[in-house]
Amino acid sequence: MSVREFNVIVAGVGGQGILFTTNVMARAALKLGLNFAQSEVHGLSQRYGSIRTELRIGSDVSSPLVLEGTLDLLIALEPLEGLRQAPYISERTTVVMNNHVIPPVGAYLERFPIPSFDEILELMRSLNPKQIMVLNAYDIAKRAGDYIVANTVMLGAAQATGVLPFPEGVLREALEEVSPSRYRDLNLRAFDLGRESVSPPR
Amino acid sequence: MGDLLAPANTLEVLLGNEAVARGALEAGLNVAAAYPGTPSTEIGEALAKVAKLVGIYFEWSANEKVATEVAMGAAWSGLKALTMMKHVGFNVASDAIFTLAYAGVTGAMVIVSADDPHAHSSQNEQDNRHYSESVGLPMLEPSNPQEAKDLTKEAFELSSKYKIPVMVRTTTRISHQRGPVRLGEITAGFSKGKFVPPEPDRYLQVGAIARKHHAELLGKLKEISLDVAPSYAKVEGASDAEFGVITSGVAYAHAKEALKLVNVNAKILKLGMTFPLPEKDIGEFLSSVNTVLIVEELDPYLEMRVKAIAKDYAPEVEVLGKLTGHMPRVGEYTMRTVLEGLSKALGVVLPVNFAEIDSRSSEILKKVPPRPPILCPACPHRSTGYALRRAAGRAAFMGDIGCYALLFQKPFRVEHVTHAMGSSIGLANGIDVATDQDVVALIGDSTFFHAGIPALINAVHNKRKMTVVIMDNRITAMTGHQPHPGTEVNAVGDEAPAIDIEKIVRSIGIDYVKVVDPYDHAATEKVIRDALKHDGVSVVITKRECALLTVARLRRQGQKIVPYRVNPDKCTYCRVCINTFACPAFVDTGSLVEIDPTVCFGCGACVPVCPYGAFEPQEGSLNWREQKIGV
Repeated sequence: MSVREFNVIVAGVGGQGILFTTNVMARAALKLGLNFAQSEVHGLSQRYGSIRTELRIGSDVSSPLVLEGTLDLLIALEPLEGLRQAPYISERTTVVMNNHVIPPVGAYLERFPIPSFDEILELMRSLNPKQIMVLNAYDIAKRAGDYIVANTVMLGAAQATGVLPFPEGVLREALEEVSPSRYRDLNLRAFDLGRESVSPPR
Repeated sequence: MGDLLAPANTLEVLLGNEAVARGALEAGLNVAAAYPGTPSTEIGEALAKVAKLVGIYFEWSANEKVATEVAMGAAWSGLKALTMMKHVGFNVASDAIFTLAYAGVTGAMVIVSADDPHAHSSQNEQDNRHYSESVGLPMLEPSNPQEAKDLTKEAFELSSKYKIPVMVRTTTRISHQRGPVRLGEITAGFSKGKFVPPEPDRYLQVGAIARKHHAELLGKLKEISLDVAPSYAKVEGASDAEFGVITSGVAYAHAKEALKLVNVNAKILKLGMTFPLPEKDIGEFLSSVNTVLIVEELDPYLEMRVKAIAKDYAPEVEVLGKLTGHMPRVGEYTMRTVLEGLSKALGVVLPVNFAEIDSRSSEILKKVPPRPPILCPACPHRSTGYALRRAAGRAAFMGDIGCYALLFQKPFRVEHVTHAMGSSIGLANGIDVATDQDVVALIGDSTFFHAGIPALINAVHNKRKMTVVIMDNRITAMTGHQPHPGTEVNAVGDEAPAIDIEKIVRSIGIDYVKVVDPYDHAATEKVIRDALKHDGVSVVITKRECALLTVARLRRQGQKIVPYRVNPDKCTYCRVCINTFACPAFVDTGSLVEIDPTVCFGCGACVPVCPYGAFEPQEGSLNWREQKIGV
């Protein structure tokens, strides 16, 4: 299998499982023998601040960082953090966005107005992405068993958009391999529910 | 985490840091020691995880200098040893390393320096290539995870051959880059060595002996620059090109793709060894082009040296880079940085309209509130900050390196300083000498063991008056929970004697020592007030484990994390909770404060903060303070 270039950013708030989500996709790329480069941020930046990981898949990829305007898929576990990726979003971008806004507490102290989800969605639309999928990932995750797997719900939804360069089975297998055993079943349930939330169950 | 022990010849997804660890295992590593520091930490974490399986020795040492000396001891006993640190950790270790370069090794030793362009999790953007030149140790620089593994292995081979420690330098985007890595055979394991100096004076660096060894070192470096450095100089691209790029590390990865995106006839000289430099190869490359752009993060290290080489080999060549304003000196590089540099240097048309992107996104970004890192929900440091603000709001606060540095932010503002490991207490010595202000030094448990103890001893001996708050969260939290000398387990999970901070403090003659649970806000506030009145050095130990550990344990035990809630009948929307405690789980709806159940850890630390008692547990919520969870 070969892919010219596919760029993903997973964005959210530290603690939402952003690294895990990206690792699953990287594992899927490996399973398919695709070249990839992934970049992530560790350390202090994890502490409930803005987090994003970048994954680039493709035979000619060497830089681990996505070039502005060339994003193919944005998985926004938190909508404000999704919007923060504005410079990367273009007509070629598919956006999969959780609708649960986590307001930065610092914004209250600085009296910085926090846009509502509808405002965020409007601003996101103004960037003319190829498509925007909105999910209530926390509700779906709770249905799967625990809201902590909202990230996996989002991954399932991303798969269902059909833009990822992996067949569904490969991504699901990668998820199974990367999941700690305690969370394996929960993650697989969340993945399936996430997928169904985009494409209606057959 | 990738499988560090996956069989040879398989492809595995490895983080750059894991790849370094794997490279060391393939090279036959025996002993490794380090102090955690982002972006180097996962090298040690990977080794800690497999140490017992492979049979190597690994420890998290008290600080980088000690870690270096542990590795040196092994390398002087004929073993293969590794130490790794973040860029600023090298400063701590450097006292030992400068002289180590003269001494050399009998086994092999590799020192990894993980630099942090953009200071993602650091107090500066230090460029440790200068160290390699100034210490006199060869330096290899990988440009992706595969090379991180391969070059680490080769570094051991070079070290063994030339009896000199070899440095491997990574930067954040190599350390924290994940990619496919083709694996080799693991040959690591522990064996006993023997400490026998190869000559009687080999490790006695004084006067005449040191001078002799210095000359020897220079001889080895000369040999390496001629025999080894050229094999790490790779030329790619059109041989007839009149434009060249000289680069190394992750900057090479950006440059390679950027050149592909613009239609320029160019060649690249990629340097895998950045000290000593392959002078002749660089000279020949320069002679073959008219213009050369140096693409390197941080300091104009290569640029200045290339200019010097150009003087001898190709005086006419135009050398562009940071010094000529074509490339930025601050921050990390991306493909965009390189594309913009190319555009400035050659006037090429960019494949992406950055101006349009910037104007379109800047309006949107103005509406997105900033989200800097903050203390986690349930973080014990938040409670300490809350008590400090109330008890000592006017003091001069000396902060230190750790999560608690985040207390510099509103609403706490109890960190005026974040400088270097252990500096809080050291600086408090100076501020107390110089002023009549109340001085409070804040330091974490791991940092206290690392570099706080000598400064505290200094304060006692010199009769300083200060309050030291040791925020003991029972782990090295900021780097991801590595044990330290105060924890009951060591790096590989064995039981270990935990050094008691309270006993250390008492033993050096401090008589005001109080240990308190920071969740008990009233008691913490009172103890700090008392401590400030004490004439001399007073110590308050706020002891409660990192909330992330508590939550992980509760989940492991099958306990449900049930969030607290706000009783809307009691909430008066006074916002005292937000304005004084600022837990990230608080949501201001415009008419009420609520708790976001997806963020709240259900600790109950907010309960005493509300003047109206509006924070309430729900069915199944715990109260960590009353139930003594995490203390």
